[in-house]
Amino acid sequence: MAQKTAAKKSKKTTSVLPQVLWRKIGASYLLTNDSGHYAWLKEKDFALVTAGGMTELHPLFSELAVKGFIRNRLDFNDLAAKWKKKNAYLNYGPGLHILVMTLRCNHKCLYCQSSAAGVGDKKTDMNLATARKSVDFAFNSPNPGITIEFQGGEPLLNWEVLKGAVEYARKKSGTAGKELKLALVSNFSLMTEEKADFLLKNEVSLCTSLDGPKNLHDKNRICSSGNSHSDTVKWIKYFQKRCKKQVTEYRVFKPSALLTVSKYSLPLHKEIIDEYVSLGLEDIFVRPLAPIGYARKLWGTIGYDAADFAAFYLKSLDYMLKLNRQGVVIREKMATMMLDKIVNLQDPGYLDARCPCGAAIGQIAYNHNGDLYTCDEGRMVGWEGDDIFRIGNVFKDSYKKVMTAPATKVCVVSSNLEAQPACARCAYKPYCGVCPVYNYEVQGSLWGNIPSNDRCGLFKGILDTLFTLLKSPGNAEILKKWVTK
Amino acid sequence: MTKTTLSVKVNAKDYDLDAVRYAAYAVSDAAYVFIKPGVGGVTVEFVPKNAAAKSISVRFKGELKDEKLRASIFDANRDLREFMILKALVYEEIPAGVRQEDSGLTPEQEKELDALIAQVEGEIKKESAGNKTKDPLGITRTWEEKYGAKNGRKKK
Repeated sequence: MAQKTAAKKSKKTTSVLPQVLWRKIGASYLLTNDSGHYAWLKEKDFALVTAGGMTELHPLFSELAVKGFIRNRLDFNDLAAKWKKKNAYLNYGPGLHILVMTLRCNHKCLYCQSSAAGVGDKKTDMNLATARKSVDFAFNSPNPGITIEFQGGEPLLNWEVLKGAVEYARKKSGTAGKELKLALVSNFSLMTEEKADFLLKNEVSLCTSLDGPKNLHDKNRICSSGNSHSDTVKWIKYFQKRCKKQVTEYRVFKPSALLTVSKYSLPLHKEIIDEYVSLGLEDIFVRPLAPIGYARKLWGTIGYDAADFAAFYLKSLDYMLKLNRQGVVIREKMATMMLDKIVNLQDPGYLDARCPCGAAIGQIAYNHNGDLYTCDEGRMVGWEGDDIFRIGNVFKDSYKKVMTAPATKVCVVSSNLEAQPACARCAYKPYCGVCPVYNYEVQGSLWGNIPSNDRCGLFKGILDTLFTLLKSPGNAEILKKWVTK
Repeated sequence: MTKTTLSVKVNAKDYDLDAVRYAAYAVSDAAYVFIKPGVGGVTVEFVPKNAAAKSISVRFKGELKDEKLRASIFDANRDLREFMILKALVYEEIPAGVRQEDSGLTPEQEKELDALIAQVEGEIKKESAGNKTKDPLGITRTWEEKYGAKNGRKKK
């Protein structure tokens, strides 16, 4: 009899769960943990687990044990290795270095966050000495792989300095022992064959903005020539063609495009996606608009709330899944990055959704005059007259001083999800991140108020959608393919 | 927009103040929340920002219940979690075939060290052989030396 009781007891788990987070979605509970594992439980199973009543005989026991949801079956080596992989960025310095070549721009986009200056305002151009010093500064980062991204304004308006910076960075990478990636974000309106050749030969990846079909694109992205869409499409096609005709001397990257969703985009998800597919673009980044910079002043006209965006996002994702089932290659970038965390338990390098956020410790924005900011959004706040996110200057400050600047520290502290009461308890904590710049601009403090924070609402909506889609085997198969390496 | 203030009494025996504070924070998107001392606990007052007061109090009670469970799980796992994260922070993945530790010594220094170790081991052996008679109780002898291998000596 005593033996029987002992055997029965051994089938029981301890009376408490290990450290888990949960979220009720519909009639089910989503469980997650620090290592990034997740599991779905029905309400009665959740009650059973929390009461310590789940035994080894339960059909879900093995799955929960392997994923670290059973307290007396924790494999610490495995969980620690996964935590380490997921948070690998904590061991490196900033990897993304954004050089603002000029604040001048020939576009006046409705939602512009970059706070562009007029085309004639040459005093906002970066000079070559500053560009070189910025490249030197970027190479100070202990990160073994750095990306230098040339932005604006419209960076092609300062072509000679851009060209000089590319040449200097390539030369420096030869001796610095770091992997160097170069990227250009441009509206392509000033692109020429000569410039394109130079960029391709120097393996600069090219990214542009494409908001969808002509009517919508030109409505959002107002250009002095009036045909922003035509220029963008012309050069996307050109670079696609060059990519198909690879040469042996250098790699030609596929061009990519970014979508910014304004209020005008909301009814047009199909048309936008079809436009991307027709141009052979395989990734579409459905980016929400942020009420920062110029967009904040026009928020009433072009903005929307988290629920509107979530509905648009779900419709877009549904349509992309439908196209995938028909054999079309099209992926949503935000989903891809989140799925990399959820499915592969690894960091995709998405600086907006990590803990702490990428401000200063993951990226640095270099203004035209050599001033350094925590990120490009922080630089925009500076352009509006508030230098709270300024962390130094390439000519005056050392790398160490910049990394320990008050703004760097405060961004790290305020974006630490463990210290954000709502985030520390949220099931999406292993995959999410907060933005101190957004909080500061929208809610008036670096900490913000997460329960009423629309950015939090957006991320919750996106993650709710992804986890729900992953429940269906058909959708899960497609989504997992998006992140199969 | 309704401005009706609603209050909920929370018994200190059921929920501690930390749980009340968090539950109040969780509904701060919909109401201004005031926590006031009361008899045997606290009184929580809600001034709604944009929703009906009744739905806020339902949400608040749900958050309170959830927070109690969360707090008990967190308290029970604090040490385990800290251990796991500490392990993760010091964890180093070594690729297969590169298991050998780098001592930081040059090959010459390694050779010198090996020779020194061999010399010391030799001296210890010599000394212990010479001192055999000084261990009449066989304290320095191993179990196997005294009684043979454990195989076949099962405890009954």
